[in-house]
Amino acid sequence: MADLIKVTINGNVYETEKGARLIDVCREHGHAVPSFCYYSDLALQASCRMCLVRIEKMPKLQTSCTITCTDGMIVTTESEEIEKAQRAMVEFLLANHPLDCPVCDRGGECELQEMVFDWGGLEERFSERKNYAPEKFLSPMVANDPQRCILCKRCTRVCDEWMGEDAIEAGGRGAHTVIGTYDGWLNCSECGNCIEVCPTGTLLDATYRHQARPWELAQTITTCTFCSDGCQLSLGARVGEVMRAVARDRYVDGINGEFLCIKGRFAHPFINHEERIRTPLIRYKQGGRLVPATWDDAIGYTAARMRAIGEAHGADAFGIIGSPRLTNEANYALLKFAREVIGTENFTASDAFSLAPCFENLSAPLATHRDIRFAKTIILVGGEPEELQPLTGKQIRQAVRNGGARLVIFNSVPIRLKEQAAQFIHINPGTEDAVVLALAGANDDELAAGKLGVEAKTLADVRRALDETQGDCVLLFGSELSAAAMATLAQLPQLLGAREGRRFLLHPLPFYNNSVGAHDIGLMNAKLSVAQLLDQAGQGLRALYIAGSLLPEHLRGREETLRQLDLIVVQELFETETTALADVVFPAASFAETDGTFTNNAGQVQRVRQSIPPVHQARPDWMITAALASALNADFGFQLSASAVFREIAEHIAAYEGLRYPLLKDESRPVQAKHALAGARDMTGAIQEIRARIQSMNVTSARPTETPKVGHELFKPGTLTSKTPQFPLLYAGNPKPPTVLVSPLYQITVDANLRATTVAAGD
Amino acid sequence: MFIGAIGCEPLQLRRVHLEHSRSLDVYRRNGGYEALKQVLDGMTPDAVINEVKKSALRGRGGAGFPTGMKWSFVPKDSPKARYVVCNADESEPGTFKDRYLMERDPHMLIEGMLIAAYALGARVNYIYTRGEYRYLINIMDEALDEARKANLLGEKILGTNFSCEIYTHTGAGAYICGEETALLSSLEGMRGHPRMKPPFPAVSGLYACPTVVNNVETLTAVPDIIKMGGEAYQKLGTEKSGGTKLWSVSGHVKRPGVYELPMGYDDMEKFIMEDCQGIAGGRQLKAVIPGGSSVYIMPASDILGKDVRMDYEGLVVAGSMVGSGGFMVMDGTVDVFETTKNLTEFYKHESCGWCTPCREGTDWLVKVFKRIADGEGRPEDAQLLLDICDNIEGKSFCPLGDAASWPIQSAIKKFPEDFKRHLLPLVAGAKEDAALSMV
Ligand SMILES: Cc1cc2nc3c(=O)[nH]c(=O)nc-3n(C[C@H](O)[C@H](O)[C@H](O)COP(=O)(O)O)c2cc1C
Ligand code: SF4
Ligand code: SF4
Ligand code: FES
Repeated sequence: MADLIKVTINGNVYETEKGARLIDVCREHGHAVPSFCYYSDLALQASCRMCLVRIEKMPKLQTSCTITCTDGMIVTTESEEIEKAQRAMVEFLLANHPLDCPVCDRGGECELQEMVFDWGGLEERFSERKNYAPEKFLSPMVANDPQRCILCKRCTRVCDEWMGEDAIEAGGRGAHTVIGTYDGWLNCSECGNCIEVCPTGTLLDATYRHQARPWELAQTITTCTFCSDGCQLSLGARVGEVMRAVARDRYVDGINGEFLCIKGRFAHPFINHEERIRTPLIRYKQGGRLVPATWDDAIGYTAARMRAIGEAHGADAFGIIGSPRLTNEANYALLKFAREVIGTENFTASDAFSLAPCFENLSAPLATHRDIRFAKTIILVGGEPEELQPLTGKQIRQAVRNGGARLVIFNSVPIRLKEQAAQFIHINPGTEDAVVLALAGANDDELAAGKLGVEAKTLADVRRALDETQGDCVLLFGSELSAAAMATLAQLPQLLGAREGRRFLLHPLPFYNNSVGAHDIGLMNAKLSVAQLLDQAGQGLRALYIAGSLLPEHLRGREETLRQLDLIVVQELFETETTALADVVFPAASFAETDGTFTNNAGQVQRVRQSIPPVHQARPDWMITAALASALNADFGFQLSASAVFREIAEHIAAYEGLRYPLLKDESRPVQAKHALAGARDMTGAIQEIRARIQSMNVTSARPTETPKVGHELFKPGTLTSKTPQFPLLYAGNPKPPTVLVSPLYQITVDANLRATTVAAGD
Repeated sequence: MFIGAIGCEPLQLRRVHLEHSRSLDVYRRNGGYEALKQVLDGMTPDAVINEVKKSALRGRGGAGFPTGMKWSFVPKDSPKARYVVCNADESEPGTFKDRYLMERDPHMLIEGMLIAAYALGARVNYIYTRGEYRYLINIMDEALDEARKANLLGEKILGTNFSCEIYTHTGAGAYICGEETALLSSLEGMRGHPRMKPPFPAVSGLYACPTVVNNVETLTAVPDIIKMGGEAYQKLGTEKSGGTKLWSVSGHVKRPGVYELPMGYDDMEKFIMEDCQGIAGGRQLKAVIPGGSSVYIMPASDILGKDVRMDYEGLVVAGSMVGSGGFMVMDGTVDVFETTKNLTEFYKHESCGWCTPCREGTDWLVKVFKRIADGEGRPEDAQLLLDICDNIEGKSFCPLGDAASWPIQSAIKKFPEDFKRHLLPLVAGAKEDAALSMV
């Protein structure tokens, strides 16, 4: 416990921790202090001058956002003098503000509006001409009306501090300062966090521009469906259509605060996309078309086919494939279906790699994103979180930049995060296993260093850093590790031994929103990989029941054998290469249309909530499975309630024991699943296996020396993301359009030359 | 134009009239680099700082902070690099002394910086000039080259263990980059915005390392302080304002120029009327802005017969400040409304835009001034101007906001007639009260 000191605020004495920030202490105790530029977890700015207070023995009014409390400090937050100053700041901010709230997307949820309600003047004294700056696009994702800007610079700070992009900065000076880009067009990761943190309508979601007013939207707090970080977001829907996704949930912060990446924020249009599968589809004969059917027909047809195959070939003729993209409830229903209805252990999930070796040997808790933010040492083996798990990437960056953490990166590619690394260790492609060997001890340094293509001393330096760490040490790893290496890494905390003041935490970097959940539910227990299961096609395997689609790497080259199967049943949102092989396709509900849970890469079980009713005739995956079970005379007893499914999960899955939806309701207090910790294991076998693997390794391919382009993964148009038209545009290099002015202005300014000069002036 | 000392032996201006005064040779033949030798010959860094403390030298950049004390704030035990940065931005309107020092006696600055660097343990040092002073950079670079060749700069200076480098750097034309923290940001290659204080540069300055930022004139005083001893230097001036000070005299005097006066010079009237040879064209003195644009304007009535002593304390008593010593003299033809409008336009143009009150306030002030000048003034405008100033003053992030408010506040207070003249015709006679209420 930190030292306690006494601070007097408006005559009341409060105890607070030494070093606490005055503005926070005032607010904690209900003394309202207005602010714009203050944003905890960003560098101090102290530019809006809204938070002025009077502190005894100090000249002038002081900005409470910059003051660290000291013992005996006497503070006044309310007085005529302070109120005059604060009202003056609002008056100043409105001087050149266009006051066009009725046409501003932010109107109704604007911090400036709110401030004016409390601190605005009754009369407007500013009767001069307002400064003008044209409204324009900064990128396909970000629209900008510079006149509304109050220059709090939250946007430039998140861009720099969170994202490491430094893509937007103030240009010009004085009253002509405008937030802009370096060459008139943003070529960043397009996360839109600048839009999110902007308290005014200056930076706007260009894809949602003039689409809706905030008060028309029903807001639903849910978990993002795009990566394993599991950011909390708020879907805004209007009559059955999801209009936008924001992280500002207005009441509490989730694990991500106001952070989202481009996918979380902008890739929602797939939900109401016209290509969503509308009804169940049946392919009555091989090579025929998929024909729309009623639910009753489709379920009945599928059940009959399954029954026939079961009777003819037995339970093990079935393979059930869940998905790391689906809810725990959906995957659980599938597992239950496999075991109880079909009676087979032929199940898996279509993930890129299995975390089973990690969880079986887990000897330290999983690091939450908050843990990463405050870690002292961070070791990242492989992976590219800034593209694949952007929240983790941001937490790592902030841990270094704002928290002084020591970051060590082992990667064969000079990924962008290396800018933050104290040590970036450029290793030969495919040698990630050797890193684990080296971390585990010095014995194999020569071998490891040789294959990695680094000096043995470098490895010793990393081990010393681990050794010297005081505080948290987080080990992160990507998909490159072999099973033995993953297992050994999971045991590293045991191998290196416990020491006072140091805590190890692990953080796997799987690809999908529910990779960890799919593992937890038991779909990925490593008995059978997707490839192994699919390879049985034709040799005993006669039918597949797939939720979601197979990954290209699993599908490619197997199409012909799969076509030979008697029955393929697929639950999907869109027609894909997998549905092309299917005999029956069920239209599934997207994450926005269902209740459930996702488990993120920190092991946190988070709620997915229904924002809109399922589109067309779609149904939640678990309901489809339950309906099929029911047609096969098995009652799952889910009673049409996702919470009932989850209750059953909690009863059957040890790590989820005792969890209930009500316990998961507060996103500001995410609940970690209780993954069992393995004690010290004898790892000699695994280490020997790694050693053998490395020894036989023939390192030939050269190390890429170029840092991959921002967005090379983020912008990749996938089944879902390609439904947002801007993604293919970004992936194609995000060319700067000839004019960046927004449409009303181009309609007025028809002369192209004139337009060009205005753009130049505006930039 | 006059350049010289009045009331004391020239110290800073000792060599400026010599032929080839810029050359190392002339500098050395006239006592140059002796102080450096003396320092390297056995003075400890602490002893140097002590002499500077005793000298009562106060920063000549404008704030007048005691230099010895500033130097002693640099942490002794910091493992980080330290820097001495010379503030040669000289952008305060009315100020033009630093450029003569650099143009005519560049080695004096180099020697001063070397001694400061020795005292503070700095190895790498910078001279930051305003963008318009590019020609001075060439002069400085030549002098630095000469010094380097003479082993007065670089590795193992004069055969001792002291190694030290000085680099030059120019800004791009922003007044705010004269403010020390904005200067450091600009030097680091960032936007020239002031930074939050604390931490002060002495603790965390350039690249977050301990840094001393000093004005040119402050640093050029250092060699003499070492040579004559801090005490003797202090005695040239007053107890709290040691030594001599350069005044950049401009405006309606017969003989403008750079004047070196002992601190505590007695008195301002004599200085204007005799030393500067009085007001040109035999007109009346109307006003003086004694310390650069950022200080209160003084009406003639506060100067004539008032025995205003010219040093930090004396000018405060007289209702203004020494500032940067930009001494602007105005005769009866001057309309203080117009000069104030002009200054306000300067501050608006130079507001960096970081903080709300200065950014929006100066913009608003200019708009009001322009409207009044366009004949669209309203009786309540003077009150409005004062209130905007009040809302800026003491609330801005850096002192530029204060600097923008003070000239207006003092001008309206001291020269109400000049403002009334612009406002009154508009309100059809009757409302004189309203315009008067502004004072
Ligand atoms: C807006 C502003 C402009 C300034 N411009 C200059 C300048 O041009 N030259 C200068 O030496 N100091 C300038 N200063 C003062 C510096 O911030 C700083 O106090 C000074 O360089 C310290 O040196 P000194 O202690 O030797 O005076 C300025 C201060 C402010 C607030
Ligand atoms: S664009 Fe928004 S966040 Fe950025 S400075 Fe302006 S008001 Fe602040
Ligand atoms: S007062 Fe504010 S806006 Fe003005 S120059 Fe200083 S920091 Fe910039
Ligand atoms: S919140 Fe303190 S200055 Fe903006």
